[in-house]
Amino acid sequence: MTRRLFTIASIALVPMVVFAQGAGSGQSGLHRTSDGKPDLSGIWQVMNTANWNIQDHNAEKGVPAGQGVVEGNELPYITAAAAKKKSNYENRATADPESKCYLPGVPRVTYMPFPFQIVQTREQITILYEYAHAVRNIFMGTPHIDGQLFWWMGDSRGRWEGDTLVVDVTDFNDETWFDRAGNFHSDALHVIERYTLADPDHINYEATIEDPKVFTRPWKMTMVLNRHKEKNFRLLEYECFSF
Amino acid sequence: MCPLVRSIAFAAFVIATLLGPSTPVAGQASKNRPVIAGCPSVSAKFHPCALEKAKAFSPPRMPDGTPNLQGIWDAPLAMGFQNIEDFPGDPSPGGFGPAVTVIVDPPDGRVPYQPWARAQRDENIKKYIDPYAQCLPTGVPRQMANFRTRQITQSGNLISIVNEAGGHIFRVVHMDGRSHLSPTFKLWMGDSLGHWEGNTLVIETTNLNGRWWYDSMGHFASDALKVTERLTLVDADTLHYQATMEDPKVYTRPWTIVFPLERIKEKGYEQMEEACHEGDHDAAGFVLGGYVPYTGPRFP
Repeated sequence: MTRRLFTIASIALVPMVVFAQGAGSGQSGLHRTSDGKPDLSGIWQVMNTANWNIQDHNAEKGVPAGQGVVEGNELPYITAAAAKKKSNYENRATADPESKCYLPGVPRVTYMPFPFQIVQTREQITILYEYAHAVRNIFMGTPHIDGQLFWWMGDSRGRWEGDTLVVDVTDFNDETWFDRAGNFHSDALHVIERYTLADPDHINYEATIEDPKVFTRPWKMTMVLNRHKEKNFRLLEYECFSF
Repeated sequence: MCPLVRSIAFAAFVIATLLGPSTPVAGQASKNRPVIAGCPSVSAKFHPCALEKAKAFSPPRMPDGTPNLQGIWDAPLAMGFQNIEDFPGDPSPGGFGPAVTVIVDPPDGRVPYQPWARAQRDENIKKYIDPYAQCLPTGVPRQMANFRTRQITQSGNLISIVNEAGGHIFRVVHMDGRSHLSPTFKLWMGDSLGHWEGNTLVIETTNLNGRWWYDSMGHFASDALKVTERLTLVDADTLHYQATMEDPKVYTRPWTIVFPLERIKEKGYEQMEEACHEGDHDAAGFVLGGYVPYTGPRFP
């Protein structure tokens, strides 16, 4: 019995050892899947106010103040887009697609004030969001779908760079905003997300935004995803348009 | 088929189903597919035959030794539950074709409603919009019968079931022995806890909100419903799916449905985005037709 247990343990440990030796950025002590990748499984949520405004903002009635999540805080809008952003802001109460309960797009779905659950396998990482039962299927190591699609949540393709999950997201429509403050994009949006476990209970999350129709250069958001550790915690529902 | 073509084909199917002339589905499908996994495809006959075959089948297993049910599954005979009972077909424009019941118990193939509840079912289809047509979540068990596919993934202490159609719905089945949520919680998709009985995955779902229908024909439950599902591999590509419904506020006794799920074997098949509410124009048509949104059972 003891020998059998030892054998099982050895088999289970082999890929971890090989991986730890092979990956330069490999961090020891992280929980890993059987194929040696960092295990991102679990229920996560941000603790920020980015859904109200991704930039630095003061409090207003019903809006908590918050330090922005945009590196450098300024967004490089082209001139015409800056005017559109201003008009979006003025009409935000009704013009924000979130107010119509539409799917919120990427990366906004990450920083909605709701938890989400990562289900990880070797071929596919699925993210289940409490908000409106939104789902993202991140297909690992396969190319984007041929041709241009106009999807609310885009087409997500993932790969591992060392211990970082990198997700390339394309094929968006132009109907979602980044926040309730009217920051927006076009259907040329290209998002590159990076998920890196900082420790077992925190993911450093980055999203690089490219959209030459709206911005003069790429820019980046960074934030921390926190693991829900409450006993028996589970996703509930926010079926937005059912209310 | 390339995904775009698949998507367009689906759109055409939906339009044809909603607007077109009477389209034979469900029961017709079983006539077109008289045999599934070596068993008669009609639920009453498939049920004992498939369970007998499952006894002789050794399923593929996950590293932890539990049966591997992972994959993308189609419900070829359930056809989205146009009607869970026998149905002669609706001759009106857009009406659905004939269907054979998926109810195996009671033997008459009918939902064992309390008398007031049978009357309400009849009223439902005359007055109310099927919540599914408003892009609201299917609930359980309609999730398993819904059009297009559902993907089952086993990972750690949970099993996820994610649907392609019906407005991006999913369930997380907790396999870690936890307890159900407090009865305070009423959810469209309920609270699902699972365990293995031999090679069968057993899922018990409570905390349902009773605001959805089982099918397009007004069959309903209350928020007291408990659904017990049993998923058993019959062969490598076929699941025997069974669900028993208990709801003492609406039915006189428990009742059970059975239908097969078939694996999608198309290489590289990926579920597509279906943004239902975001592009929904069907509900407006129902409202114009004088139908009103369904808000749940109206107890006598």
